Amino acid sequence: MSATFPRRMILAAGAAALPLLRSRGARAAPREIRFWHAMSGVNGERLEEMTRQFNASQPDFAVTPVFKGSYDDLINATVAAYRTRTQPQLVQIYERGFMTMLLSGAVVPVQELMAAQKYEIDWGDFIKPIAGYYTHKGGLAAMPFNSSTPILFFNKAHFAKAGLEKPAETWQALEAQLRQMKASGGPGSIMADDYHWSWFENYSAINDYQYATRNNGFGGLDTEFTYNRTPVVQQVGRIKRWLDDGLLQVAGQGVAASAVFTAGRSATFIASTAAHSAMVAANGLEWDAVPLPYEEGRAARNSVIGGAVLWALRGHPEPDNAGTAAFLAFVAKPETQVWWHKATGYVPATNAAYALAKSQGWYKERPTQEIAVQQLSRGEPTANSLGYRFGNFTQTMLAQREEAERAFAGQKSPQQAMDDAVARGNEILRRFERLNAGRY
Amino acid sequence: MSQTAAPSLPATRRALLPGLFRRGRARPREAQGIKASGFKGQALPLLLLAPQLLILLLFFFIPAIRGLAQAFLLQDPFGQEVHFVGLENITALLRSAEYRESLRLSAVFAVATTALTFSVGLVLAFATDRVTRGRTAYRAVLLLPYAIAPAVAGFVWAFLFNPLVGPAAGLLHALGIAWDPNRDSGDAMLLVILTASWKHLCYDYIFLVAALAAIPRSVIEAAAVDGAGPLRRFANITFPMIAPTVFFLLVMNTVYGLFETFAIIDATTRGGPAAATSILVYKVYVDGFVNLDLGSSAAQSVLLMILAVSLTVVQFRLIERRISYDVSQ
Repeated sequence: MSATFPRRMILAAGAAALPLLRSRGARAAPREIRFWHAMSGVNGERLEEMTRQFNASQPDFAVTPVFKGSYDDLINATVAAYRTRTQPQLVQIYERGFMTMLLSGAVVPVQELMAAQKYEIDWGDFIKPIAGYYTHKGGLAAMPFNSSTPILFFNKAHFAKAGLEKPAETWQALEAQLRQMKASGGPGSIMADDYHWSWFENYSAINDYQYATRNNGFGGLDTEFTYNRTPVVQQVGRIKRWLDDGLLQVAGQGVAASAVFTAGRSATFIASTAAHSAMVAANGLEWDAVPLPYEEGRAARNSVIGGAVLWALRGHPEPDNAGTAAFLAFVAKPETQVWWHKATGYVPATNAAYALAKSQGWYKERPTQEIAVQQLSRGEPTANSLGYRFGNFTQTMLAQREEAERAFAGQKSPQQAMDDAVARGNEILRRFERLNAGRY
Repeated sequence: MSQTAAPSLPATRRALLPGLFRRGRARPREAQGIKASGFKGQALPLLLLAPQLLILLLFFFIPAIRGLAQAFLLQDPFGQEVHFVGLENITALLRSAEYRESLRLSAVFAVATTALTFSVGLVLAFATDRVTRGRTAYRAVLLLPYAIAPAVAGFVWAFLFNPLVGPAAGLLHALGIAWDPNRDSGDAMLLVILTASWKHLCYDYIFLVAALAAIPRSVIEAAAVDGAGPLRRFANITFPMIAPTVFFLLVMNTVYGLFETFAIIDATTRGGPAAATSILVYKVYVDGFVNLDLGSSAAQSVLLMILAVSLTVVQFRLIERRISYDVSQ
């Protein structure tokens, strides 16, 4: 229902704009730029609002947002559309699809597109972990759009009841706190559906553990996973222990993990900063947030991003590319960035946008929205914390989750599970390498 | 069984039997019974079949052949790089422990859903005969699950049995049963079996009710007069007379369990935890549409197709021969 409402508004806005255009003389109808996205719910409405703002800001182009379902559905629809030559001009693809898109031959690198269309964009101003993630051969391959990073949300009431103020900084101290809360009759914590992202990938980056050879894949397609020889194995063991002792719970199907937290039935919740919109919407929930924990004795570094970027697809006439570039330039503007950041909880992509939000006093009002930005720029990035660049990344991740869940259920030891995950993952990486040899 | 009492088959029952059983092996024209064809010549039957064959060609044979071709290729999703790899995709699957595990899970799932759906359906169908008051309401209630979309059914069951919030899970916990389909593989499998069986139950039920209703009362009464008890009457009269329906349901339930439960799995467990409910048809989807591994997904479809065809052939060869479609004169 909510998804159809804004679309109707667009139609209404379009109809209202029509006489206006005519009165300006013999101007042609704005050129349509199709934009496929995967944002549902509140964030989907915000996205449609952003396109309306763009459409109202200039007369030449009209961006039409089309909701295509989940990120998985969207990349599939993109593949199918490209193969039948009916692709839209713009698609929003999740970070795990980066290598697939980059080497697909179906995209125009954004920095090239913007240069060809004569748009001046300060590429150096993009926040490092975001720019680093999507930069290839010296230029951004796609436009950062909705970038997030996991942070630790917590229920203040449950902490206070156990005589605690806020979550401790290290995993070890946090475990002691969770036990204390459980002992004083509090609930366990809920594990987000995308736990692999925060508990394995961000965990490795923050603690500076190597995840794979060749700088986590940045150095070449011949990268191999190595996380079975790092404390990721202990992390799997930690999750199992927490699950066994009731400190942690899996939401599973039938209920959203965030709903368990916002209902007040979870002590902590490690989740994307985009969960802010759910927190704000929750009634009577006393919550706050802190950065992700790190291992005792390690220096906490930057976390890595998730979310999605906008890719410009090949195969469109020149005027369309001009429209695509115009919209991307609009997205990159600090004003748009700040508006989007405030409306959704996603991270501002540029330093200018961050400074603008700060000067507007936004973080005094919403201090927790600053955590993600600070966490992303914490410490000096190392080869282990720049991000991940793996082909078939979704497939290696699903194999890893399967094996980890075998360990959670006690079917395998954490070491065995991660050894198997790495073996399966490397086989998948080799398949990608074979298909894309010489193209990266 | 009495040789004298069986009357000719009522037209309603004839109409209920699927086309599958009317084609069958060639028989002499003068043969009686429902397998005999009433057509003279071939033109009219072919003409009548043509629309169906065209639909099959467009929506089954052409996509199936294209899928078959992809099974022998290694290609990137956007199709710019295509390597011919022969049987590599298929041998890789056969070597993979995950695929063999998925095969085993599918067998468990299909056998369990078939058995559960059929046996509960049969009991309920028998009960329908005994219900005198509110029979229509009883039947309507039993048919309701069929009207619910599989994804919705899956979501409702996932919610009911969710260990954190589900009322049914709460009941199990209160009984001291450690129920957690989010972590325990066995619980997850049980949950999808129950969901899929519940959803398909009414299908079996309606066919069995119709089959039972078509058995002439006089035959059963005659047997009762001859001194046969209820069990004996079931074994010697009822079951043989509903055998064609039973066979049909056996085939349909297997097909349902193996191929049509994707939406239920996706909504109830998403194939998890630890791939414990990732049956073949779900794995095809994940590898093809989530992992974008088209070659492997196509190879899995081919294997699945071979499995389906051979299962059906086996069922027809082994079981169908023992069923009599004829009504003895």
